[in-house]
Amino acid sequence: MDDLIVRKVTKWIVPFIQVYGIFIVLHGHISPGGGFSGGAVLGSSIILITLSLGLEKASGILSHRTSSLLESGSIIWYVLIGFAGIVTGNNFLTNRGAGFHMGEVGDIISSGTIPLITVAIGIKVASTVITLFHIIIEED
Amino acid sequence: METLRGIVDNINYIGALTLFVIGLYTVLTHANLLKKVIGINIMETSIFLFFVSTGYVRLADSPIIDPNKANQIFVNPLPSALILTGIVVALSVTVYSLSLIIKIYEEYGTIDLNEIMEMRGNLSDG
Amino acid sequence: MVNEHFPIYMLAILLVNAAIFSAFTKLSFRFLKRVVVVNLLLIWIMGVSLFVKVVRDGAFRYNFGDWHQAVGVQFYVDELAVFMMMFILTLSNLIIIYSLKDIEHEIESKQFARYYTLVFLMIFSMLGLTFSNDMFNMFIFMEILSIASCSIISIKNSKGSTLASFRYLILNTLGSLSVLMGIALIYMVTGQLNMNEIHGEISVIWKYYPTNIMMALAFIIIGFGTKAAIFPLHIWLPDAHSVAPTPSSALLSGIVVKVYIFAIIKLLFRVIGVEIVGELGIPTAIAYLAAIGTILGSIFAIAQKDIKRMLAYSSVAQIGYIFLGVGLATKAGLEFAMFHIVSHGLIKTALFLSAGAIIYQTEKRDIRKLDGIAYEMPATMMVFAIAALGMIGIPGTSGFMSKIFLGSVVLQEGKAFYLFIIILSSFLNAFYYMPIITSAFMKSDSEAKVVNDKIPRRMVVPMVIVIFLSIAIGFYPQLITEIIEIAVDSLL
Repeated sequence: MDDLIVRKVTKWIVPFIQVYGIFIVLHGHISPGGGFSGGAVLGSSIILITLSLGLEKASGILSHRTSSLLESGSIIWYVLIGFAGIVTGNNFLTNRGAGFHMGEVGDIISSGTIPLITVAIGIKVASTVITLFHIIIEED
Repeated sequence: METLRGIVDNINYIGALTLFVIGLYTVLTHANLLKKVIGINIMETSIFLFFVSTGYVRLADSPIIDPNKANQIFVNPLPSALILTGIVVALSVTVYSLSLIIKIYEEYGTIDLNEIMEMRGNLSDG
Repeated sequence: MVNEHFPIYMLAILLVNAAIFSAFTKLSFRFLKRVVVVNLLLIWIMGVSLFVKVVRDGAFRYNFGDWHQAVGVQFYVDELAVFMMMFILTLSNLIIIYSLKDIEHEIESKQFARYYTLVFLMIFSMLGLTFSNDMFNMFIFMEILSIASCSIISIKNSKGSTLASFRYLILNTLGSLSVLMGIALIYMVTGQLNMNEIHGEISVIWKYYPTNIMMALAFIIIGFGTKAAIFPLHIWLPDAHSVAPTPSSALLSGIVVKVYIFAIIKLLFRVIGVEIVGELGIPTAIAYLAAIGTILGSIFAIAQKDIKRMLAYSSVAQIGYIFLGVGLATKAGLEFAMFHIVSHGLIKTALFLSAGAIIYQTEKRDIRKLDGIAYEMPATMMVFAIAALGMIGIPGTSGFMSKIFLGSVVLQEGKAFYLFIIILSSFLNAFYYMPIITSAFMKSDSEAKVVNDKIPRRMVVPMVIVIFLSIAIGFYPQLITEIIEIAVDSLL
């Protein structure tokens, strides 16, 4: 879409959307939201770029290769965090028992594994949403 | 009055089942493949609404601990957490079926099931 | 060395491998093959040791993150689950070894890594479905399984595979949604998702909310029935199983459908309990539908000309047998169901693999064009013939053992009517399998000479192992019936 207003507004608004998405991901354990919601917001910022500035521009920011690496990487990261529980002699995905930092209620750095997992989910969801959208657009 | 009260008390059942049936009807009767996917989405939504409504507690807070309040009552957070997972599943099913529809359109040039069936019938005859 | 983390290790290896394959799609196929085989062997060895451990030390529960079972995710690894796990792992390993060669012929080379991603995800979700002791996790694994199994059909770039896959997806999703609705209704009255907790509550709840439980059961059975292709809901199966690449057909027909049946058995008898289910008359209804399915599936199969389509319709009939065992709702009936799950899994896999080998070499799918094919490919046709005889129920194969097992069970229950159905269905089976065997072995030119199979050895060996296992069970059924007896005891 070659329209000056759309392009300018997109360039202005995308950083704000991304910051909001990161905020939702990072506050996943102390407020509503979390990995999926934040990841979807992050993903939609790139989808906005695809829609207004074109596919090439968006692929320049996040190529297929990178996003599939991110997807796989976040799965492996999740599994590794789960194994921390087994290594310390507990069950899979143990949180407090595995010696993670629990912190105070309401802090950003608290509740052990949950923020770590939420970040992985956020990255995974964002890259998946983008990949899916780009693949469907390319097929057309 | 009794019936009215019954309806009001069980409005979540009635709403969910109505939506479920509307969705099922859309899936089964429409020949357009896109409409089938939309029907599936309506059904999914109906179940999600129903599932979330089972966790509702009257006059309760959202399940976030507020250090300043004592004796908080929370709504049941488990159904909402489950439904979040359900939404992810629904998203992936929808995307997958849409990409299949694109491929079907490339193959047959239409997304109407009746027309596709006609074409397949002609193929097997000829 | 064997500890209770083994189920997690197995699932983690499968998941991580799937993730790696999907990220590095440009790996050379030679390297990919090695990685696949090494990982599968590793998982199989872990499976065997877990099996030995559970049989020796008894069942155990595994709570994720040390949460209590009422709130957390739980695996319940008992004899039934490890038995099913061994079945899934052994059969899928053999099919995958066969697929390493056959797949070059079926799909484009850039899709290989994606294909094995999907296959690994499928095995991952099937194992998860087997171990899971939690209704909602079961639903999640089921959805992963249904998307993966639709994708391994549509990955083949042929006319009709996308449409078959789309139909399969829509019906599968309708099924999963019904199951989710059922889970919601059960959760609403019991407030629990863990299977043991639900079972504890449901005998009390049952008196107060009979309608709710009845609706939940109806939704769940229709949902799983769609996925397991119980008779009136089988319409997706012939299309989906016949257009898929051969290894996928074998996986879908031999294993995936069985996992859904296993889930139904678990839900009906472990979660709800045999008393309530019996009071609602569900087993009787299932048995009637199954009986109709055994006959009609065979009749549809007679009319087919495409060999894979015929095998798919024959699956509908055989699934009918398994549901007949479930519908009897007795210990012996369930033992038969488990036995026939294994027996049919082996035989149908052998049939699909040998049919795939025929298509691989001669490109012939029409059963009327198979005259004298046994002279061209003797080993493949021997496997096909033995498996077909097993399907009919000739002594010496596992098919015979399961038919005689079902016959005696039905007579013990005093339901001789079903025996008539079994015999009629066996005749119908003979009616469509025998012509293929006779024309393949007898009809030929007088000059035809027996030549060696040109099929690669990597495809022949898995077929022979599968059929050998079937014969072994045919002669020594106690190899698996002993463990089935222990397993079913824990269920009822």
